[in-house]
Amino acid sequence: MKDNMKLGFILALFAAAACASLAVVYSVTGPAIAIQSEKALQESLKDIYPEAANFEDITASVKSSVEGVAIEQAFLVKSALAPLGVAVKAKGSSYGGAARMLVGVSLTRSIAGVRVLELNDTPGLGANAKSATYYVNKADKITFPGQYAGKYLTDAFEVKKDVAAITAATITSKALTVIVKAAADSAAAWLETSTLAAPGSESPAPAEAAAGTDATGGK
Amino acid sequence: MKNLWKTFKQGIIYENPLLMLMIGLCSALAVTSNVSNGIGMGLAMTFVLLFSEIFISLFRKSIPSSARMPIFIIIIAAFTTMVDLVMKAYFPELSKSMGVFIPLIVVNCIIMGRVEAFASKQKILPAIFDSFGMGLGYTWVLVGIAAVRELLGNGTFAGLQIMPQSYQPILFFILPPGGFLVFGLFISLNIWLKKRMQKPGKERA
Amino acid sequence: MDLMKIFLIALLVNNVVLMRFLALCSYIGMTSDVGQSIGMGSAVTFVTVLATAATWPLYHFVLVPLNLTFLKILVFILVIASLVQLVEFYLKKNIPGLYAAMGIYLPLITTNCAILAVTFENIDYGYSFIQSIVYAVGVSLGYLLAMVLLAGVRDRMKTSPVPKFLQGTPILFIASSLLGIAFMGFSGLIK
Repeated sequence: MKDNMKLGFILALFAAAACASLAVVYSVTGPAIAIQSEKALQESLKDIYPEAANFEDITASVKSSVEGVAIEQAFLVKSALAPLGVAVKAKGSSYGGAARMLVGVSLTRSIAGVRVLELNDTPGLGANAKSATYYVNKADKITFPGQYAGKYLTDAFEVKKDVAAITAATITSKALTVIVKAAADSAAAWLETSTLAAPGSESPAPAEAAAGTDATGGK
Repeated sequence: MKNLWKTFKQGIIYENPLLMLMIGLCSALAVTSNVSNGIGMGLAMTFVLLFSEIFISLFRKSIPSSARMPIFIIIIAAFTTMVDLVMKAYFPELSKSMGVFIPLIVVNCIIMGRVEAFASKQKILPAIFDSFGMGLGYTWVLVGIAAVRELLGNGTFAGLQIMPQSYQPILFFILPPGGFLVFGLFISLNIWLKKRMQKPGKERA
Repeated sequence: MDLMKIFLIALLVNNVVLMRFLALCSYIGMTSDVGQSIGMGSAVTFVTVLATAATWPLYHFVLVPLNLTFLKILVFILVIASLVQLVEFYLKKNIPGLYAAMGIYLPLITTNCAILAVTFENIDYGYSFIQSIVYAVGVSLGYLLAMVLLAGVRDRMKTSPVPKFLQGTPILFIASSLLGIAFMGFSGLIK
């Protein structure tokens, strides 16, 4: 028994040393990791809403009604003058694992833009969704995420009919479309409730501006 | 010194972990669809191997034999986690593209195998040379396979366009079956190389 | 994603061995006969499901609240190693025949990348507990399937003429390549 206790003690010692050294490494890299994902998010947000000046975090009040799609972050995007719309970062499953999309919904309930933040699907097939040079519409140079811009949420979102699929990557196309629709719907749901409550204290005349005179989608 | 050099050389061809010992295969095929991933994986694995071998060789007298597996695991897992954290923080694109295979380094049979068979019984200096040799042997095969797959399957090498624009990439090579095929041929190549190196003057079949 | 989809994609479309290159060491090493592959496949299935059942709650109810997620790799592999030890003890005491037959490959289950990968992915994909179990079962049955298929192919190859430069391991990989191509056809299953 004494031998076993000695063994257990040595084991615990090594384990403790390992955990301690990892904690040190984590304290250094942890902030850097957080910065990386912030950077990526910021870049994509600016991409969809070029006139955006600030982003109000509304994550707590935006919920996904689709099982399998989680809303990780949501922002009310405002320019210096007025709200522009909502941006939702959603996570869902795609062919090769989790996929994260950023979906912007403008005040007119149309999609301002979609960006693929994270995708692990097959290179050359599903992964083309993320590529800036892969076009689902070669004539007009429209990328897979780019095709959603300007679409109204009340439109149909059927892949291969209303939404162009990536060649030989139907599963990816469908999975991403589900995420986009879920994110857009949750943003729209928030917009519905928000026209009743004033969004932020900074922007002047917020609720009335939502009546539809503001930034339309489409790039 | 001569012994150390021999130890180093072993891992590159004669006891090449992937082609001869047939260990550590999983990560080898999965990350070789392009060269950058291959190099990244090779370096990450070598790092974990190096430090695991160093520490286990360092503590080899204090590690009780009956509890050695869990302790090896703890040490290897610690270094794997370090690599994972550092990559996520400073090389996020590479980290995402390699996905779950970075954390999987912890069960890479090469590391477990070398630590058990070599580092736990040798002094630090031979252990260091062994890890570099094995690491290099692992990396060259990875880069070699990745080069073939990326060149034929995408027309590029580490992202740089090599094949002429008119080259229609053979998607097959980037897909998993292509990986299996290329790897099978590499093993065949290595067997042939080994035979040739062992009988320099004899007839080449 | 609904459970059936998760299961089918794990089992066939994204087969853990043929499409994702996981668990290759045991795939090459333990498929010399069909009985052996079934034994190994079943053992792996058992450990994978148990490991999922243990690591999922451990992550969500211990590591996350305590902000120790960076210990994930360390904790998960130790859990798997312990589970394999327990399985070893149990087999040694209760089914000594199987224990002897599996020999050294039993402790090697610990280094089976597929098991660890499943435990990581349950977290990364954000699966619920039920989804994780279904995923674990799908993946390990996919492993069993691939093992049995290759064992069958190897059996046939014993009596086939294989070119000299491909004898031994190379032909196994080429055979797997062909199996993989066949499996790629399964992607049409998912609507």
